[in-house]
Amino acid sequence: MLKYVLRRLLQMIPVFLGVTLLLFMLRAPGILPGDPVRMITGERPISEALRAQIVEKHGLDQPLHTQYWMYVTNLVQGDLGESYQRGRPVVDIFAEKFPNTLRLALAAIIIEILIGISAGIISAVRQYSFWDVFVTLSTSVLVSVPVFWLGMLLQIFFGIQMKEWTNETFFLPISGMSSAQFPDWAHVILPALTLASVSTAYVARIMRSQMLEALGQDYIRTAYAKGLSRRAVTFRHALKNAMIPVVTFVGIDFGAMMGGAILTETVFSWPGVGREIFLAVGQRDWPVVMGGVIIVVIIVMVINLLVDLSYAALNPRIRYGGEAK
Amino acid sequence: MPKLLEVRELATHFFTRDGIVRAVDGVSFSLDPGQTLAVVGESGSGKSVTALSLMRLVAEPAGRIVSGEALYNGVDILKMSDSQVREFRGDRMAMIFQDPMTSLNPVYKVGRQVGETLMIHKGMSRKDSIKRAIELLEMVGIPNASERAGNYPHQFSGGMRQRAMIAMALACDPDILIADEPTTALDVTIQAQILELMTEMQRRTGAAIIMITHDLGVVADVADEVMVMYAGKQVEYGKSAEVFYRPKHPYTWGLLDSIPRHDVSEKDALLPITGHPPSLINVPSGCAFHPRCPYAADICRTQVPSLIDCGNGHLAACHFAGAREFIRGVDPAKWKAA
Amino acid sequence: MTTAEMTTGKVADGAGRTLWGDAWRRLRKNRLAILGLSWILVVVLMAVTADLWVPHMFADPLKIDTTPGASLQSPSLEHPFGTDKLGRDVFSRVIYGARVSLMVGIIAVSISLLIGVVLGAISGYFGGLADTIVMRSADVFFAFPYILFAIALIAVLGPSYQNVFIAIGILGWPGIARVFRSSILSVKQNEYVEAARAMGASHVRILFRHIMPNAIAPIIVYATMSIGGAIITEAALSFLGMGVQPPTPSWGLMLSDARALMFSAPWLTIWPGFAILTTVLAFVLMGDGLRDALDVKMKD
Repeated sequence: MLKYVLRRLLQMIPVFLGVTLLLFMLRAPGILPGDPVRMITGERPISEALRAQIVEKHGLDQPLHTQYWMYVTNLVQGDLGESYQRGRPVVDIFAEKFPNTLRLALAAIIIEILIGISAGIISAVRQYSFWDVFVTLSTSVLVSVPVFWLGMLLQIFFGIQMKEWTNETFFLPISGMSSAQFPDWAHVILPALTLASVSTAYVARIMRSQMLEALGQDYIRTAYAKGLSRRAVTFRHALKNAMIPVVTFVGIDFGAMMGGAILTETVFSWPGVGREIFLAVGQRDWPVVMGGVIIVVIIVMVINLLVDLSYAALNPRIRYGGEAK
Repeated sequence: MPKLLEVRELATHFFTRDGIVRAVDGVSFSLDPGQTLAVVGESGSGKSVTALSLMRLVAEPAGRIVSGEALYNGVDILKMSDSQVREFRGDRMAMIFQDPMTSLNPVYKVGRQVGETLMIHKGMSRKDSIKRAIELLEMVGIPNASERAGNYPHQFSGGMRQRAMIAMALACDPDILIADEPTTALDVTIQAQILELMTEMQRRTGAAIIMITHDLGVVADVADEVMVMYAGKQVEYGKSAEVFYRPKHPYTWGLLDSIPRHDVSEKDALLPITGHPPSLINVPSGCAFHPRCPYAADICRTQVPSLIDCGNGHLAACHFAGAREFIRGVDPAKWKAA
Repeated sequence: MTTAEMTTGKVADGAGRTLWGDAWRRLRKNRLAILGLSWILVVVLMAVTADLWVPHMFADPLKIDTTPGASLQSPSLEHPFGTDKLGRDVFSRVIYGARVSLMVGIIAVSISLLIGVVLGAISGYFGGLADTIVMRSADVFFAFPYILFAIALIAVLGPSYQNVFIAIGILGWPGIARVFRSSILSVKQNEYVEAARAMGASHVRILFRHIMPNAIAPIIVYATMSIGGAIITEAALSFLGMGVQPPTPSWGLMLSDARALMFSAPWLTIWPGFAILTTVLAFVLMGDGLRDALDVKMKD
């Protein structure tokens, strides 16, 4: 098991280097059209002295590989540069936004787990029933829905229609993280539902197919032969096997949400990491953009590693190695 | 006093889009305590489905036991309610399956799986059931049993897994143990060990065994009675010695002829039975074996043979079984002429 | 619930059925898949022939009408989906938007296929160092959250219609390469490959004649689903202002415009989104159906 952990950690290093290389190349002079100094300062005109200063500080006149090395070493020390628009270190900006995205992602994951897993189990256990068909169809639909559109629809419905219909008694907040009218937790409902929608569909599908596969195995027959009830067979024997890939998916999905929530965050004006990066693109604040992306990638990689490790821990075949005589 | 197990005219059919599969079509036999019955036949003969029917493990609604009785100490298993069956399974009658690797749950420790029936049927606590499981594992010859109980199935070798399955089946001291091809998935060297283990367990616990197999070699060592099945019906049934030395059905002759034997000269080479097993949806008319039988006559094509008593409780389903000259090795040409 | 033994005893069908014929027959029986396929055909037809009928029956999608009262009309007979802020007929724009979406879907996925199939084949067939390099590169791509990577790419390339194909195309190759590689790996083990090699066939010949035809099935399914994904991604990018630029009608762009007017003119939000949903759903259903149709064949 320890060997497995070490091996995975080792594998991560070249990937991480690859990522930094890719990002570096994207902003490196020569590849990106335009003036590298402009990448740091934005569009405003600057004095010669300032230009010289910047060139010096960022080593822009150095050969590429030196610049890359500078980039990586800074990165490892936690220095992602400064946002020119705001004059603050990039790391600080994101440290601020990170908890917001975290809150959103957690809420979404909870929804995903509760609804997705139960839907998947029921669907598998009552195969071909109305419920099964319903789940299968609605998951296909949810997977095809553009997340941002769903968000807008929810806003229209819960924010406006409900307001009208219930004479302003029941409706939900549709933007931002907090407001005077609503408790903070109310604000997270619609965005979390939106963010969770597609993933819930996937979770239900995976859970269903894993359960079906598990229920078709020989050890299920053995369990019945021992006199176990249907409930015990389903929840004690089949579920434990079927859960493993689902747990893996949820874990990876959580990582993806951390960086991929940008659409939801934009629609609901949720001040998270993704939205920050997107706004920075609009402002051409490249240090923020690149810094944000690398932060997100690191988070995703760490989470993926944890997911891999949990898979190894859950699966006895990996945890306890091979055959003994 | 009622027999331990008495099966009469058991029939189990599967209802598929292509037609009705008559997997088991009128099988009868009985079992005494401590006895071993071998059920022999090719794949598709219905032997496994017979066992599954007794355990009430036939998958509904596709499959259904359409008729017959299976009396366990006078109580019909086939008419039991679901909850009664659940109490019965694993406790009074247990089953072990062909492939021990896939038949054990990979995510639970072996000790826990072996002890599970004790928790369900005997109300033991988890700790106690595992303690007993360790004893059982020792009984079936697994070394370091207490350590092994904490292992997972994939950490066991094939033979050891099958031993664990046997321990699991015997946990509640069942009266009847059904073994569905218990040695087929194992190495030849291990096969003999497992069979020996089973006979010893039988001696110790007094359980009756129904051994399902396609391997007559296995049967010879182990069985008190033999039932040969073909196309869902039983074609021969009797004491082991009778069936082996005085078989009366051409299919049985075919099976016996196709066993490789080291003491038979090369001239009398292996004689496979020509043709292939029949469809269970479109069963051949009359005697199901007639398309492959060298002795087939007109009557065989038109009339289904009933079981003829050849004396000593030896039954055979062949129109000619009653004739004294109709024995193994009789020349088909000569027989047909007569 | 149990795996009971059964001999269905099906008599072997003597007629020579091809692999694809079999798959097609199975696909035909899947009603949802046929529904998906039909809808795709409808959309394609509408998009391709749009010039012929839309401007005449409805309106020029680009025509801006600034006469007072022309903008933000609710749906009516003349404008079935209403008009937008600039007085343009929403229905025509939705139809023309299909062009953009389909083009992006097909071209982007083609790019991904081109890169992915080649790299996947090299990786799967030759193994070794080539395999490691390709797979590690794929891992690098997988480390980025998809939409973020797309945004970063567009940020570098500049927002435009063409760059959307390129960005989505580039993002898609690792997925295809992985699927194709594993498909090749499993086919490679089969005996007929050994036999071909024993006969002295060259690598290229083995790859093309023996491995490819069998490894292709999962790719077809994956590619179909990817078109759906590409359409959504294009919509998302355009929504964020990083894709198709105005005045070209794109469903995502229309949604972005609709956002400011969400409350006063909700119909602007509904139709483009619905168009995306139905089109992508059609591809998803088709993909599902293809997977089921081809899967049984692959079981042996």
